[in-house]
Amino acid sequence: MSMQSETLVKADIELRHVQKSFGSVDVIHGLDLTINGGEFVVFVGPSGCGKSTLLRMIAGLEEVTDGDILIGGRDVTDSDPARRGIAMVFQSYALYPHMSVKDNLAFGLKIAHTPPAEVEARVGAAAEILKINHLLERRPGQLSGGQRQRVAIGRAIVRKPLAFLFDEPLSNLDAELRVSMRIELARLHRELGNTMVYVTHDQIEAMTLADKIVVLRDGRIEQVGTPRQVYEDPDNMFVAGFIGSPRMNFLAARLRDRRTVEVAGASLALAAELGAAPGDIQFGIRPEHLHPGAERPGAIAARVDFSEYLGNTRYLYCVTGSGETVVAEQRDGDDFEPGQPVWLGCEPSQMRLFAKTGERLR
Amino acid sequence: MSARQAARRRKALLNGIARHGFGMGVALLFLAPLAWSILVSFKRPIEARKPPIPPWPVDGATLDNYAVLNDFGAGIWAHAGNSLTVALGTVIISVIVSLLAGYGFSRFKFPFKNTLFVLIIMSIMVPFQSILTPLFLILSALKLQNSLFGLILVYVTLQLPFSVFMMRNAFDAVPREIEEAARVDGASVWLVLVKVMLPLVFPGVVTVAIFAFLNSWNEFLAALIFMTDQDKYTLPILMTAVASGQFGTINWGAIQSGVTVMMLPCLALFLLLQRYYVRGLTAGAVK
Repeated sequence: MSMQSETLVKADIELRHVQKSFGSVDVIHGLDLTINGGEFVVFVGPSGCGKSTLLRMIAGLEEVTDGDILIGGRDVTDSDPARRGIAMVFQSYALYPHMSVKDNLAFGLKIAHTPPAEVEARVGAAAEILKINHLLERRPGQLSGGQRQRVAIGRAIVRKPLAFLFDEPLSNLDAELRVSMRIELARLHRELGNTMVYVTHDQIEAMTLADKIVVLRDGRIEQVGTPRQVYEDPDNMFVAGFIGSPRMNFLAARLRDRRTVEVAGASLALAAELGAAPGDIQFGIRPEHLHPGAERPGAIAARVDFSEYLGNTRYLYCVTGSGETVVAEQRDGDDFEPGQPVWLGCEPSQMRLFAKTGERLR
Repeated sequence: MSARQAARRRKALLNGIARHGFGMGVALLFLAPLAWSILVSFKRPIEARKPPIPPWPVDGATLDNYAVLNDFGAGIWAHAGNSLTVALGTVIISVIVSLLAGYGFSRFKFPFKNTLFVLIIMSIMVPFQSILTPLFLILSALKLQNSLFGLILVYVTLQLPFSVFMMRNAFDAVPREIEEAARVDGASVWLVLVKVMLPLVFPGVVTVAIFAFLNSWNEFLAALIFMTDQDKYTLPILMTAVASGQFGTINWGAIQSGVTVMMLPCLALFLLLQRYYVRGLTAGAVK
């Protein structure tokens, strides 16, 4: 958009050994993270993993116990939220209920004593981008959820921030609206090109929006990577299990030698030689890489417990001979009846092996 | 029109009549004493002393009762002025102090916050009469006895526990994220309070103001004890002074005219501000 192109700034955000404690409870344990200018970074993790706290620390709404935060190369660790050059979109939108949409958008600019003509121009441009021109005179109470969300994003846009921070902005919307707003956010990022940091627990949002996903657990980074990297090449069992739905199957296994693994009575050849000593390990494979079929060598024997029909695909919930549950995706062929024996073939290139402690064996 | 439709319509009509009839009956019950006071205040003094049926003036309306009221002390306007000064002073100071205190108790972290808050609330339990003597001593020591400002301070003190409690609740009801959004937008603590929070807690402010006004406007005991100079009397004291007629009789006409004068500002204030009681401003703020 023309409005942004003149002043497009792509600020890096750098977290250096950032720590946060509430009293004696540590919630963020010394995080190091670099977000490159213009990147769309998504923090994802189960609830209570500290992702929102981390975002609020970047925003300056939460004090940093230890470590430094740099935005655009400037140390902002102890700066006011207003002086960090960031704009934030809250989960509850947090619009000013007593002001019209126009005043909501203009509030920050007026406080900064921006000339009225420029306020008018910037509000107009933001309203144009978000298609809310016709709503400018209304109060937030007269808007639908999706419209409020647009206004909240508009309030962030008019400030021309160095970086946008989103705190689960779509979780209050219904499913259909969520999908369309997700697409709009992606479009907005393409048009504005700013650095964006986005917190969500919804992995579909994370996968579709992110240039880079940061998977968090208990205040620690488990993995940083592109959506493809975290999905296809997870660093540990947590990331492998958290990303992907239905989640990856994990089975107790035994590494016989560097090229063979024994899982649930089957002996499977690995795609590449493994640099680990023989012993007990965890074997992981995603449901779409398990191919149900007739008895054949190199397939895991199991019994169908029940099956789910989803239209475009089917999920078979199976129990192996060792009593472990596995989910397999079945795209074609006849339906399996509950109780029927099934043999699950595995693609060697899609097997993921983990040490008993959880880290990936490569 | 089918028979069922007709029956439904008749039922709705009867329902409406019953509902409105009941409402009007109750309203009449509440308005009757007010109307009575106002009507009697226009009777001649002699007639006002007679049995009150009919309540309206029979021997012709007159302003004699108001003249009696005006002849006493410094005149009705001066005393009404005293009352208004005290009431407005109490309102202004109570609102400012409770607004700031409520904001602080609701949003800031400081040591002994809850203890302090409980202490403030606890002071509601102290019977006001029991601290009259110490208050009197303190006021005389401060040379504030017999001064309207001294009386304002006493009223504010009595008003504050409730007001602070009220304002803290009002601030608690405002989602924290709205305040955070304003901070990200660049507003200082004061700007947040004035431009963002104040409009949102305005119903609370109005409640505090109305209570402060009514309580200080009607307060009698403290005013009687602290104000010894007749020119500084507030309306409730003036009323008791005026009420006693010759030979211990009660001057009903003067009382009713005093009541009329006293209730007018209260009614006006309430009618003016009552919509804020009802309005939920935070609607649409979140979700």
